[in-house]
Amino acid sequence: MQDETILEINDLNICFEMREGTVNAVNGVTFSVKPGEVLGIVGESGSGKSLSARSIMNLLPRNATVTNGSVKFRKNDGEVVDILAEKRESRKMRELRGGHIGMIFQEPMTALSPVHSIGKQIMTTLNLHTDLSKKAQVERAADLLAMVQMPKPMEMLKKYPHQLSGGMRQRAMIAMALSCNPSLLLADEPTTALDVTTEAQILDLIMSLQDELNMAVIFITHNFGVVAEIADRVSVMYLGNAVETASVDDIFYHPKHPYTRALLQSIPRLDGQKRRRLQTIEGMVPDPFNLPTGCVFHTRCAEKMAGKCTSQIPELTHFENDQMARCHLHQA
Amino acid sequence: MTNFHIPDDALISVEKLQMHFPIKKGFLGRELGAVKAVDDVSFYIRKGETLGIVGESGSGKSTTARALLRAYEPTGGTIRFKDPEGNWHDLTHKSEAEMRQLRQYMQMIFQDPYASLNPRMTLLQLVSEPLVNNGITNKSELEDRVADLLIKVGLRPENMTRYPHAFSGGQRQRIGIARALALNPTFIAADESVSALDVSIAAQTINLLQDLQEQMGLTYLFITHDLSMVEHISDRIGVMYAGRLVEVADTASFFEQPLHPYSEALLSAIPIPDPKRARAKKRGLVKGEVADPANLPVGCAFASRCPHASELCHMSNPELTETAEGRFVRCHHSADLKLQGANYDQ
Repeated sequence: MQDETILEINDLNICFEMREGTVNAVNGVTFSVKPGEVLGIVGESGSGKSLSARSIMNLLPRNATVTNGSVKFRKNDGEVVDILAEKRESRKMRELRGGHIGMIFQEPMTALSPVHSIGKQIMTTLNLHTDLSKKAQVERAADLLAMVQMPKPMEMLKKYPHQLSGGMRQRAMIAMALSCNPSLLLADEPTTALDVTTEAQILDLIMSLQDELNMAVIFITHNFGVVAEIADRVSVMYLGNAVETASVDDIFYHPKHPYTRALLQSIPRLDGQKRRRLQTIEGMVPDPFNLPTGCVFHTRCAEKMAGKCTSQIPELTHFENDQMARCHLHQA
Repeated sequence: MTNFHIPDDALISVEKLQMHFPIKKGFLGRELGAVKAVDDVSFYIRKGETLGIVGESGSGKSTTARALLRAYEPTGGTIRFKDPEGNWHDLTHKSEAEMRQLRQYMQMIFQDPYASLNPRMTLLQLVSEPLVNNGITNKSELEDRVADLLIKVGLRPENMTRYPHAFSGGQRQRIGIARALALNPTFIAADESVSALDVSIAAQTINLLQDLQEQMGLTYLFITHDLSMVEHISDRIGVMYAGRLVEVADTASFFEQPLHPYSEALLSAIPIPDPKRARAKKRGLVKGEVADPANLPVGCAFASRCPHASELCHMSNPELTETAEGRFVRCHHSADLKLQGANYDQ
C-alpha cells in the first residue's frame, strides 16, 4: 500500500452466482483515496458503484463472492487493515465500521431505526466506540446535531425519524456517521432523494464538515452536477469497470475515455443554447449475464476499433496528473 | 376573468385553478382543513410550444397536470382547451362522456414506466387500447397503426407480441409515449417523464420528444424538478412553490434574470456540471424548508425563507401580475429586486 493513501482498492472482482448464470458485477476496479480528499464515483445504474463502496465496509450481500482483489484501509495509528481478509463480524471490522469509516445512505428513512430516537441512535454508536460517560454522550450527541446545523439540538435528541423532514433526517444520519470522527466517510447517493434546495444545503454541509474535520470522502452519485461541485477526483464506472479516474477538472475538460465523453455530452447544461440536440449513447447497457468480450463499452462506442476492442480487454493507461483510463485508443 | 391577456394562438388557458384535498379525521369523516395542493394557478400554453413547470416535491406541479386533464376534479377555477377545429371547450363543465371525446387530443406520459404499464398486456394490446376505446376494431388495421406508432417512437414492430417485462426502462417509456400518441393528440402532459431514467437513456427520450413535437406539431406541458432539463426543452418556464405559480417567463429571460426570489434560490441550488462554474457559484442562498401546503401562512408562502421579505410579505399574499408581456411574477418586491440568474459566460 502506498504511503500517502488512506484507502486502496486493487483489481476488485465481485460476482453473484444466480440460477440464470453468473453476474460479474464488479470487474477489476482499482482506485485509491488520500486523506482529506473527496473521490466522486459516477455511473449509471448497475455499474457497480454501490457494490464497490459496500466492499469497503465488508458489507457485501451474502450471495456475493469476491473472486479477486483487495481492499486496504490505513487507520490513524498507521496500521493497515486488509478488509476483505477480515471476517464480516470480526472485532476489527466492527471497530472500523462507525469508528474509522462512517457511512451515509440514500434513503435516511430506511437507514435509521424507526423505533429509536435520534439521540439514542447516536449514543449507541458512541457507546460502542468510545468510553464516554452517559452524560458526556448526551452532550456529544447534542454537539453533533449542532454541528450538522439542526435547530434546538437538545430537543432534537428526543425526536424519532418520522417526526423529521427528509433533509433533517439526512442531517441526523450525517451526525451519526461523524460521531466518532471517522477518517473516511462513504456517502452513497446521499442527496438523490432530496429536493434541489435541500440537496444544496446538504452538499454545502458535507463540504464544510469535510474541510473542518479533514476527512476523506467517497461520494457516490449518478449526477454529474453534484460531482462537479463536491469532488476533487472522479472515477467513472461502467458495467463494473472503473473506465476512467482523474481530477475533477481533467474529467470535465480533458476526458480520455469515450464513455466519459459521451456521458458528458448527453447531459443538458445551462448553457443558454436552446434546442441543442443532446448527444446520445447508442444502444443500451448490455445484459449483465452476458457481458461483451473485450472492452465492455465496445457495443456502444463511437470510436471502436474493429478486431482490437471486441476481443482484448484494455489495460489501464496512465496519463499526467494521475489520470488513468481503460481504453485501447491510448495504447501504443 | 383574468388580469392578463390570453394570446390568440393559445391552446390551453387555465384561470385561477384550485385543487384542495380535504383532511378528514375520525369515523364521521369530519373535515379538519384542506391541503391546498394547487391554489390560484393561472397560465396559458401556446400551440406548438413547450411550457416547463418546475418546483420541488409537494409544490403542486403533478396535481396541476392531472387537474388539467380532469384526472382530478378541480375544486375551483376554469380550464379551457381549443380543439383542432378551433372551438374552445370549458373542461371544468364537461361531463365524463364529453371529456372522453376531448381526451383523444389531450394525453399524458407518466413518470414511472414500470408502474404505468399493465404487466399482463402485450405491447399490441397496450398501444392499441386507446384506438379500440375510440372505435377502431379491425384487427389488421389495429396492427398496422400500432406498427406505425412503434416505428415512430423507435421500437421494433416485431416485438408487438411481447410483454412489458421484456423491455428496459427507456423502452418502456417509449411504449408509454406510443400509447399517448395513438389518437393523434395535440397536447401532451409529460409528468417527470425522464426523471427515473439513466443519463444516456434520458437524453434519447428527450430527443424523441423533441422530434415528435416537430413532426406532429405537439404542444407540451413538461413537468420536472430538473432545471437543466427544463432549460433544454422548454420555450417558457413556470415555477411553482407551495401550490402557487410564483413566476412565468420565457426560458432565456428566466435564466438570465429571474424575478422571484424563490427562482433565484432554485437557480443557485442546481448543481452545475462544470467544475469551474460550480466553484464560482454563490452558495447558501436558501435556508429552511418548503412550506407545508396543509398549513400555509397568510402572506407569501416563501416569506419565511426569503432574504428580501418585509412585513408586507408576511401580512398579505401577492397576486400573480404581468410585469412585461408574457412575464408574470407573484412578489410584492419584484420591481425593486435585482436578482441573479445562471451565469452563462465564465
